[in-house]
Amino acid sequence: MRVIRMIAWREYMENVRTRGFWIGILLLPLMVIGIYLIQSSLARTSPTRYYLLIDQTGSYQETVESAIDLEYQRQVLQSFVDYLLDNRKERDLELTAANARTAADQLVDDVGSDEVAALNQWIESGGLDVALAMSAPYLREDAPPFQSPRRSFIQAPVPEGVDVTAQPEQIIGQLRPYLAGERRVRVDGDEGELFALILIPADVDGQILRPGVMPVPGQAAPTGVQYWSRNLADPRLPDAIERSLNNRIRDEAFSSSGLNIQLIRNIQRTRMPFSKLDPTASAGEEAVSMADTFRQYAPMGFVYFMFLALMQSVQYLLTNTIEEKSNRILEVLLASVTPNELLMGKMLGIGLSSLTTLAAWLLTLFLFLNFYDSAETSTIVQIIGIVLSSDLVPWFVFYCLAGYALYSGIFLAIGSLCNTLKEAQGMMVPIIVTMMIPVTITPFVVMDPNGSLFRTLSWIPPFTPFLMMNRAAANPPPIDLIGTSLLLLLSIFLVMWLSGRVFRQGLLRTGQPPRVTELLRMLRATH
Amino acid sequence: MQQAVLSLENVSKTYGSFTAVDRINLQIPRGSVYGFLGPNGAGKTTTIRMILDIIRPTSGRVSILGHESALAVRQRIGYLPEEKGLYKKMKVDALIAYFARLKGLSRRIAEQRARELLKKYGLIEFHNARIESLSKGMSQKVQVLAAVAHEPELIILDEPFSGLDPVNQQVLEGLIRDLSNNGQTVIFSTHIMEHAERLCDQILLIVGGRKIFDGTVAEARALISRRVLLETAGDISGLQNLNSVVRITPAEADPGSEPRWLVEIGNNAQPQDILKYCFDSAIPLSRFEYAEPSLHDVFVDLVGPQAGEQRLR
Repeated sequence: MRVIRMIAWREYMENVRTRGFWIGILLLPLMVIGIYLIQSSLARTSPTRYYLLIDQTGSYQETVESAIDLEYQRQVLQSFVDYLLDNRKERDLELTAANARTAADQLVDDVGSDEVAALNQWIESGGLDVALAMSAPYLREDAPPFQSPRRSFIQAPVPEGVDVTAQPEQIIGQLRPYLAGERRVRVDGDEGELFALILIPADVDGQILRPGVMPVPGQAAPTGVQYWSRNLADPRLPDAIERSLNNRIRDEAFSSSGLNIQLIRNIQRTRMPFSKLDPTASAGEEAVSMADTFRQYAPMGFVYFMFLALMQSVQYLLTNTIEEKSNRILEVLLASVTPNELLMGKMLGIGLSSLTTLAAWLLTLFLFLNFYDSAETSTIVQIIGIVLSSDLVPWFVFYCLAGYALYSGIFLAIGSLCNTLKEAQGMMVPIIVTMMIPVTITPFVVMDPNGSLFRTLSWIPPFTPFLMMNRAAANPPPIDLIGTSLLLLLSIFLVMWLSGRVFRQGLLRTGQPPRVTELLRMLRATH
Repeated sequence: MQQAVLSLENVSKTYGSFTAVDRINLQIPRGSVYGFLGPNGAGKTTTIRMILDIIRPTSGRVSILGHESALAVRQRIGYLPEEKGLYKKMKVDALIAYFARLKGLSRRIAEQRARELLKKYGLIEFHNARIESLSKGMSQKVQVLAAVAHEPELIILDEPFSGLDPVNQQVLEGLIRDLSNNGQTVIFSTHIMEHAERLCDQILLIVGGRKIFDGTVAEARALISRRVLLETAGDISGLQNLNSVVRITPAEADPGSEPRWLVEIGNNAQPQDILKYCFDSAIPLSRFEYAEPSLHDVFVDLVGPQAGEQRLR
């Protein structure tokens, strides 16, 4: 035991003393935080885009313009919802019901479930000013004032010399240099690139599609409203216009059939209250809170974290053994320690290095959350708190250690057989794939944690740590808990024993990695 | 004979159809310096690995310090493998202490011993250097020190002289003598006969996995006849008629010099007999050399053509 401890400590110290170790540790959090900051700043700075509207019917212009205004209002509404989420008084997830309760949540919920109706209501009831006044009681005292987003889409005047009454093909021909970016449009003295052209041909009303009319084979489908743009990645403008145009013609159809549009809209927004309740909770606390939802999903987080932790240990395990092998150091060690002591020492030492890495990551996360206070980070802090206070942590520790013991033995054995990392990579693939399977099916396991398929798969030892962790929150049957754990421990011992043999044989081996038959012979060999 | 620290009984190792070591028997007395001699691929390293229980013999029995397996007494053994390697990032003193501690020494004693050894063998100024910054010869010396820092009873050095310059070879010879004077048993393998000649009480000569000879250096020398080197342009064919002469063979001559001959003489013969005959027969001698046969001669004689490769090294 003393020797194992010494080997482990030396491995650990050698790892943590290198600069690369700490660079590796800091790189991931820096990248994650960097990406987070870049994304949130990108979301705020969207460029101004100029569009041209040519409506030959003369009746849709207003609809399109209001559609674009509606799109802007949607942005305002979205920012307002974000603002509300950031600054509302009640930020405690334990008290936030999984379904909407407060007026603010009703609004958030409305936007999520029926955006058009919510937008109409939003504008009809006075838009931002009224909303701000209404939401004031729900906001924290120290909330910053709301800032409206900039308008993203601005209409440009039709360039001189373009005949808007000409045939669509002619108009497009004339505007092509603008659409191609070769010429720029002038708007209020500024020059800018033309982002899009919306062309509504004179005969568009004759092209409206109605249910029951089948397209005639051989006849070209009607073009309808034409949206010309080089940028097809930003769907906001075409989507908004299309939606509004459809609403407009539908409203007209309602009217011409003698139906009350307002009534229909109101009917569309009627709502049956719907509460999610937990039968296992005590009386009065059955309402499923956001926190409960997180608790249910927490195992997924644990599984991913476990996978990440294992994957980064793998790298240490392999490079370490291969390096020692190529340094010719193993033979000296073997005169002083048994291969099994070496195997165990390495497992412990490298396990300790991985724990250090994880601890450093968690510490950076903790520091980031503490020093960068926003709605997101405070939510994350709460989620972490919820997860840590659940009874999943002991399971996580158990499955994490078991998973490490199971896989590290295999990876050390592989390392002992290979002289270069390149050789090792080929042998690693099947093991990595085995690890990936339970991780990939994680989201499905959460939905049906005690389903017979996942119960069966849990009994396959390489999957057990991931799958049982994933199922841990769903009270799996005791037979699964105990049985799979025993089987897992048994296979850990088996893997360690077999790996010990391969390790012993592999250490002094030179040349190419062995073939399968040779590997089997190694397992059988006495020494 | 003193009590054997190591004995091998019919020890063999085969890999498939290839026999690396073939039925070796050996007794190594306590306190001796013992040389394993043989050309490359003779089975020296395989034998050493079997002695240390790093690999198991296919058949036969090893007894080391009274135990069947070296693992049981590994704290009493020091080992320098043929493939020399060290933790490149470690500091010299820490590395020696680490290996000593693996062998059971306490941290304090191990560190103290590392310092002493470094001082004694002139490396103390490098105690804080990283292994990767040392020259090959220096790191090899460090590795030897790491192998002996725990003062083992039995020290096994596999090709300890390879890669060392003549000065460092001498330092290493001194170290082996120190160990021997200290009562420790040293086994080392080499294919350079001069080291064995100077250091060893006994040698094992192994070729193609088979033992050719084991015994003292003097016994080894007695295996072949003594020889006299003559350099002359004269006719020496008459020497053959002398009773004391066993055989005459032409020897390699320097370019431009007169022909050289190797005259082997019987065990009871006197080299002066040859000299006397040459004077009497008025054979002009430009060189007359008599020396006890060296281990190298024995080696060449016993191993034959296979040794040619060794001489070039």
